[in-house]
Amino acid sequence: MVRAPGDPVAAAVWDALTRVHDPEIPPCSITDLGIVSAVRVDAAAVEVDLLPTFAGCPALDVIREDCATAVAAAAPGRAVRVRFVNAPPWTSERITSAGREALESYGVAAPSEGAPRACPYCGSRNTVQESAFGPTLCRATHYCRDCRNPFEAFKPKLAASS
Amino acid sequence: MTDDASPRLTLLLALADDDLILGHRHSEWTGWVPHLEEDLAFSSIAQDEMAHARLLYGLALDSLGEDWDEDRLALGRAPDGYRNAVLCERPNRDWGFSLARQFLYDTADDERTSALMSSSWKELVEILALVRTEEAYHLDHARTWFRRLAGGPVAAREHLAGGLEASLAEALAIFEPLPAEEELVASGVLPVSSRELLGAWLARVGEELEAASLDYVLERHAPVGDLVPTASGEIEETPSFAVPGVAREDGRWVHRGDFAGSGGRWGRHSEDFTPLWEDLTGLYRAHPGATW
Repeated sequence: MVRAPGDPVAAAVWDALTRVHDPEIPPCSITDLGIVSAVRVDAAAVEVDLLPTFAGCPALDVIREDCATAVAAAAPGRAVRVRFVNAPPWTSERITSAGREALESYGVAAPSEGAPRACPYCGSRNTVQESAFGPTLCRATHYCRDCRNPFEAFKPKLAASS
Repeated sequence: MTDDASPRLTLLLALADDDLILGHRHSEWTGWVPHLEEDLAFSSIAQDEMAHARLLYGLALDSLGEDWDEDRLALGRAPDGYRNAVLCERPNRDWGFSLARQFLYDTADDERTSALMSSSWKELVEILALVRTEEAYHLDHARTWFRRLAGGPVAAREHLAGGLEASLAEALAIFEPLPAEEELVASGVLPVSSRELLGAWLARVGEELEAASLDYVLERHAPVGDLVPTASGEIEETPSFAVPGVAREDGRWVHRGDFAGSGGRWGRHSEDFTPLWEDLTGLYRAHPGATW
């Protein structure tokens, strides 16, 4: 991440980005999801590079437009360019601890490797993944054997081996 | 457009059109799969495949004139401009066929994208690195259900075996040499030739089929279907399309002989393609210039 030291507009732009949310996971800001890859600020322009969580996510256009609006308000008079880039691939390790808490508060288990996910309703780990697919591309479907609720979990995404 | 296509464009169209056309077929399952989890699975896989096609079309636009855009590339070509493998355009038949096809296709796609990670074309490597993080879920889905159906009740196993028998020959044709194969290999854009990729894929699929005692489908699979003219105007006579044979030698499955004639990579398709094309592109053709 590139921050121009000393430019108060750069700080304002970052602050604005923390208030842009993923429409499919409203409590989670895009900075908490780790999809802001780079912000470049100079006297004339602001450029923001974003990483798609999943390439086919239908919220991408909305997020890009919301970012552009927020950045334009934080950097009046400067040209704004917001775009999605392909590299580095987004991975679920980019989600911050605040992001993980926001996901859990929304009833979506945070991504983790290996062990069964903790049920977001009762906390039990006596759970099973029913399917790697769910209501959105970034979520899998799980089931809690203790409180007997189906629940969703954010899919872990790792950099693929070549 | 594709007559004078650059070698790189022929590679991109093969990759992207496979994803687009098979993604369209997968999307036809939405609302119809035998149970909800698989409805979500096929719908999600369709959505991913179309997104991957879109990333690849985006890269293709770099080598096309300004009058091309994503939508025109995906939806605005004549039928013989599409370079997908014929397997991808076949109707869904039953869910066992769709699963067998997904297994064969995603295994093939994994082989070629894995090889392309060492391509000399950096922008393509960047896109495929992202694509492979998502394809891992598709492959896992295909292999899980492959084993489940293969080890399941007789009816499940028969549906799977029937799907494999029907699609195997046309799955071999995923590795039909590309129109500009030699240049692509010489420049390092395609680090492994289609022929070598076919060999690697066949050995891998052979192992999985043997583990499930389904390797007999390699010997008695259906032949490739007839291809029909998809171009308008004067139709050139071309020899029938045929794929290499397969045999088991020294403990592994290998291919024997060569491809004959030309198939999907040259824009020649089956009778199933035109109805799919009409469905896929109808809205785009009916409302030129519309945005949505």
